[in-house]
Amino acid sequence: MKSFLGLGFKLHTQYKPAHLRKTVLDMAWHGKTVHIGCAFSIIELLAVLHRSFLRYTDNNPLAEGRDYLVLSKGHGVMAQYACMLERGWIGPEHVTGYFADGSDLKGLSDSRIPGLEVTSGSLGHGFSVGVGMAMGAKLKNTDQKVYALVGDGEINEGPIWEGALFAAHHQLNNFMLIVDENGFQAMGTTQEVLALGSIADKLTAFGFETRTIDGHDEVNIEQAVRELWASDSTQPKAIVAKTVKGKGVSFMEHNNMWHYTRLNEDTYAQACAEVAGAQP
Amino acid sequence: MRAAFSDSLVALAKKDPKVLLLTGDHGYALFDAFRKECPAQYINAGIAEQNMVGMAAGLARMGFKPFVYGLAAFIPVRVVEQIKLDIAHDNLPVVLLGDGAGFVYSHLGTSHQSTEDIACTRAIPNLTVLSPADRFEQTLCMQWAYECTGPVYMRMGKSDRGDVHREPLQAPLGALLPLHEQAGADIALIATGSMVKTARELLEKTLPGASVYSVPAIKPINTQALADVCNQHRLLITLEEHHTDGGLGSLVCEVSSTHAPRRVLRIGVQDRFSHGCGTYAYLLKEHGIDVDSIEKQITAFVQANPK
Repeated sequence: MKSFLGLGFKLHTQYKPAHLRKTVLDMAWHGKTVHIGCAFSIIELLAVLHRSFLRYTDNNPLAEGRDYLVLSKGHGVMAQYACMLERGWIGPEHVTGYFADGSDLKGLSDSRIPGLEVTSGSLGHGFSVGVGMAMGAKLKNTDQKVYALVGDGEINEGPIWEGALFAAHHQLNNFMLIVDENGFQAMGTTQEVLALGSIADKLTAFGFETRTIDGHDEVNIEQAVRELWASDSTQPKAIVAKTVKGKGVSFMEHNNMWHYTRLNEDTYAQACAEVAGAQP
Repeated sequence: MRAAFSDSLVALAKKDPKVLLLTGDHGYALFDAFRKECPAQYINAGIAEQNMVGMAAGLARMGFKPFVYGLAAFIPVRVVEQIKLDIAHDNLPVVLLGDGAGFVYSHLGTSHQSTEDIACTRAIPNLTVLSPADRFEQTLCMQWAYECTGPVYMRMGKSDRGDVHREPLQAPLGALLPLHEQAGADIALIATGSMVKTARELLEKTLPGASVYSVPAIKPINTQALADVCNQHRLLITLEEHHTDGGLGSLVCEVSSTHAPRRVLRIGVQDRFSHGCGTYAYLLKEHGIDVDSIEKQITAFVQANPK
């Protein structure tokens, strides 16, 4: 695998959602790949984390003492790739060469790529790894923080709730769960497939200090993260982010087909026009 | 054997603060010493094995050396995907300890019996698979596991069958351990775990002219040493308290077929679950892996393969 470090290319767009979405569209177009909708729902969440919270070293995603962003919903990995392009951890050739034979970046999160902390895609895994990282930071007495971003469909998985019990029992207040509540999972809405009820109520009942926010309102996201970290509570933190699957492109929004659909020339052009026209 | 396990774990943890013990609410009295000596390194993760194994991956990523303990029916079988994806994929130094393998929980039935764990773990890249036979091998395997820079699964079976070795062992990872080796022997008994003791009994009772080898490391195995054993004997008999497919018997067949083709009799659990319930000895008999049943299989095998 070639080194991803020190490529020296940076967009410096300050993680503007329009730019991030355009990168996702370009990757999906060049790679003829899917999972656009679930990448678009977490764009603002990742933008705020990268811009304001994650303690990374720009030229070294593997630097000691960093915070950890665990993308447990590995299907949204193109959104993280877009942020990694901003950081300079991948280069434009990774966008145009996405999914080319022998290329490194996969369709789901792979921890062998610096900038991706876990291998995920099989759902319900990254969350537990993140809990272990948070426990490890506590045991080492460091101030590292761990963010685990999960999908709302993903929390059908049992290990999520096993880990939630553990995080609360061990007072892992350096751990923040962020639920991308876009209301869809593979075969339909979360309500239709396996109704979740109030995710916030459930997490609160499990012992999390919880906020429910608009997951596309960057001010709202930033405020919630700051408030939770500022809390004196020993509880683990949770943000339930209400989002829109396919956010930012009119014909993708609330349409689960864009979990599976590939772009053609017309949809690519139209989506690019809509994203470019969006005001970040 | 359990004392050797506990003593080794405590010694490693006292020497190295990065050693952590995670348990899925198992090992009640077994960890008294550990909890007393190294309380800060002990984590009872609750009855939640999937999360526990995922967490172990996270702890390993933070620089710790987690030892994850559970019954072999659960660790590794219940959490094969967590082992594959969270741990083995990135070659993380997590040691998975599966206790009570085989028919140790003879009265409890299928949920607690484990005769597929070696097969499940052998196929996972990067994963070392260990299967000690007595307290000396247990201590050796604990040292191997501690020194291993990647993930390890250690299968721990019936622990009170007595020693097969006479003194502490030193050997490189993957070594075959000869218990009885004689020039010109026609038959080699190759066994692992609890069945090494059975192989010793067969040597004394039935096959005094045979060679006997213990295999504490299923993976990696010293292929050349195993091929040499194949070359030096006409008939090979493998013994394991595990399914005949995917375990030690399969391993020997694979090496033999490539390096030194021989007739191999695989003695182990056939392709079925336990029907009955009873003592450990009863279950061995039901599955045809008690000494009497094995003698019959060997007799038939030898008669079918005359010199």
